[in-house]
Amino acid sequence: MRPGEALRVVLRSGSGRLGIGLLAVLVFVSLLVPFFYPLDFGLRFWNNPIAWADNPKAAPPAWTNLVGDQAPRHRVFDAESPSQTVETGPATTRLYSFTFDHDSETPPTFLSVSVGEVSFYDRPPVISMSLARPDGLTATILQEVVRGQRPDETPPVSRFADEPRRIFLSGDTNALTAATDFLLQEFGLRLSEAEIQGNLEAALFGTPTSSDAPEFEPLTGEYTATIRVITYDSRDAVESVRFVAAGGVFGLMGTDTQGRNLATGLMFGFPVALIIGISTSVAATILGTFFGILSGFSGGRTDTIIQRVSDVMTNIPLLPILIFLIFVLGQKLWLVMTILVIFGWPGLTIILRSMVLQVRSGQLVEATQALGASRWRIMFRHVFFQMAPFIVAQMIFFTPAAILAEAGLSFLGLGDPSLPTWGQILEQGFRTGAIFIGYWWWILPPGILIVITAMTFVLLALAMEPVLNPRLRETAA
Amino acid sequence: MTVQPEIGAAPMLDLQDVAMHFKSRGRGFRTTTVRALDGVSLTLDRGETIAIVGESGCGKTTMGRVSLRLLEPTAGRVLFDNIDITEVKESRLKGFRRRAQGIFQDPFTSLDPYMTIRQIVEEPLVIHGEGSASERLERVEWALEEVRMRPASDFLDRFPHLLSGGQRQRVGIARALTLTPEYILADEPVSMIDASSRAEILALLRELQERHRIGYLYITHDIATARHFAPTATVMYLGRIVEQGPTADLISNPLHPYTQGLLNAVPEPDPANRLAERPVLPGEAPSPANVPSGCRFHPRCPVFMAGLCDVVEPPLVQVELDRTVECHLYGEEGQARAEQDATESVSENA
Ligand SMILES: Nc1ncnc2c1ncn2[C@@H]1O[C@H](COP(=O)(O)OP(=O)(O)OP(=O)(O)O)[C@@H](O)[C@H]1O
Ligand code: SF4
Ligand SMILES: [Mg+2]
Repeated sequence: MRPGEALRVVLRSGSGRLGIGLLAVLVFVSLLVPFFYPLDFGLRFWNNPIAWADNPKAAPPAWTNLVGDQAPRHRVFDAESPSQTVETGPATTRLYSFTFDHDSETPPTFLSVSVGEVSFYDRPPVISMSLARPDGLTATILQEVVRGQRPDETPPVSRFADEPRRIFLSGDTNALTAATDFLLQEFGLRLSEAEIQGNLEAALFGTPTSSDAPEFEPLTGEYTATIRVITYDSRDAVESVRFVAAGGVFGLMGTDTQGRNLATGLMFGFPVALIIGISTSVAATILGTFFGILSGFSGGRTDTIIQRVSDVMTNIPLLPILIFLIFVLGQKLWLVMTILVIFGWPGLTIILRSMVLQVRSGQLVEATQALGASRWRIMFRHVFFQMAPFIVAQMIFFTPAAILAEAGLSFLGLGDPSLPTWGQILEQGFRTGAIFIGYWWWILPPGILIVITAMTFVLLALAMEPVLNPRLRETAA
Repeated sequence: MTVQPEIGAAPMLDLQDVAMHFKSRGRGFRTTTVRALDGVSLTLDRGETIAIVGESGCGKTTMGRVSLRLLEPTAGRVLFDNIDITEVKESRLKGFRRRAQGIFQDPFTSLDPYMTIRQIVEEPLVIHGEGSASERLERVEWALEEVRMRPASDFLDRFPHLLSGGQRQRVGIARALTLTPEYILADEPVSMIDASSRAEILALLRELQERHRIGYLYITHDIATARHFAPTATVMYLGRIVEQGPTADLISNPLHPYTQGLLNAVPEPDPANRLAERPVLPGEAPSPANVPSGCRFHPRCPVFMAGLCDVVEPPLVQVELDRTVECHLYGEEGQARAEQDATESVSENA
């Protein structure tokens, strides 16, 4: 049967259509990934906490706001140039203002200010921040001086070039003191620093309801955060400023406890899963087919050797070997794939050998031999073609096995840290106790994606049935 | 119709005392030897047809396979056009492969189900590197027309599973025909196709024989149909040829007790007689893995002579110019015994 005909037969069944549809989605998403992701995504971003610092931690997906309580949205404001510049003598004040509507009953989960790449000549710049609230009050909550020139440095002195200076307000002593002052001044509420620490966001985005306890009524409306950078030389420069009012929900798929955007990790998992599954199954199938046909067709010593090796290989328990080799050689994806291929081909070889023996004793081989065909022609033009649909079905069947094996290993914590996979995301969720805390968005999507991907190939293999069995094919035709 | 061998010329196909023993692992560590062929000699000429008949397992197919060098015989020689092909390497057999072809029993498994009719019939040409693509197509169409699959273009792109058994066998014949061979082994070519197309296929084979002067080795276990197709017949029993002669004579006057039994075992075409009691071959054929001593037919022979048939191998007796039989009844020792028995019974009667 030709490929086109086979495809038509597959598409005739419901499972075939569903399988092809799912496969198309998997392939489409996988093809998108290289356009949006750097190849070293795993090391440079996924497993680098700094890359996710400005994200809310363990936030459910944004669409959960459609039902239940309104969690604040995640807001990130970036500016490269100030919205206003004020010159007073030699000093220049750069003002970066960000206005946003806070309409949630819950305050932002954290506030952070980042200043990227500052260079100065004379005196170090001063960074400060104030928040204008809907009730007309303005809280000045930050005052920081960039570290000055050291004796071994010559102007221009550069700061925060590699990584922006990021200040989490609730972790900054100056900010806490400033907030305490603000509450005392405006509302007469006296709180200790410890009391304010856990309630900074609630205090800034609310009105006190008690005169001695950290209890606040939410205050909704328009807020304006203004970040001031004062420099003392006209040549001084500030490259970028960022303000984050972290939300309680995030993106399409939420975040994990490190603030990682799960959507990015899950999306990156598509091509990784397909590459793992397809390349290992293709490689194992090619080896298995070659040795199976060779073994069945040549007989004698070649046959005996191939069969002994296959028997031994299929009887070695794979998991302990994998774990052992990973401990010895390190957590490398290619290692896992190689081992899966090495241990994956013998099963097919054993089946194909017996099929070859059956085909070999049949009249087709005899007839072709009588025509003068060479052994190779008989083996690969006739015997192989007889078994080709079966081989393709086996290859499809083996694909989820490889994906599941990788997921299983990752789940044991033996995944390759340089590439995020669904199994690893799942494992990190379990290790963090996400399932007990109720971080369902961390556990369900990777689990479901693994299942769907495995199911795609099972459906395809099921739909291959009529292709495999000519009798079913004839009745279907 | 039948072309008599030219006097003095070597026969086209010449099997000389061919034996084919299969070693197989039996129970435990013992190896058993299956003597599928145990010293058979046969010659076949261009334009000639010889039928090989015998019960299942008597070695007919094995003989056919040896004649096509699909098996290397354990002993004996196979000459094709006076060239010994028994021990020639497969790579040096191209000339023979062109001139000798096979038609096989099962038209369902002898054609590659993943090839179109065109690819199947073209394959011998491809293997032997014959002609350009268009020349090969012409040849394929010619072969299909020869087997009366007309118009050929209707069949070229079809797959075998869309054809009937008879049509498939025609494709098999067309494939054998593309290289215009001189010798065709036809191993039960009609036993697996429906009765209605059998006669047609046999008629086609005969027509092709006349046109191309093909020599057929026609294997069948139905001696009755052999009469219409093969002028000469050879009866095999447990790896040996026991009787040979013109088919008509063989049927009207079978000499070997086995041939006699075989003819009695042929179902009576007249339904009225079908239930009539007839002597059939007693017992099952013994296995070629365990060949009886002396005459290998002796455990089942109704006229078995104790002390002779189970001890001494029967001689090959030329009964008439074109008839041979391998049985003590026609040998000197047997004749002597018969005479002795006759005198004894006369003296007893006296
Ligand atoms: N490759 C083989 N290995 C071992 N034994 C074999 C082999 N081929 C044939 N035999 C045995 O040799 C004997 C003769 O077989 P063969 O196929 O020649 O019989 P046949 O006369 O063609 O029978 P049938 O009418 O059933 O086709 C049988 O007992 C068979 O089991
Ligand atoms: S040789 Fe003896 S046993 Fe054999 S067929 Fe002739 S009579 Fe029967
Ligand atoms: Mg046979």
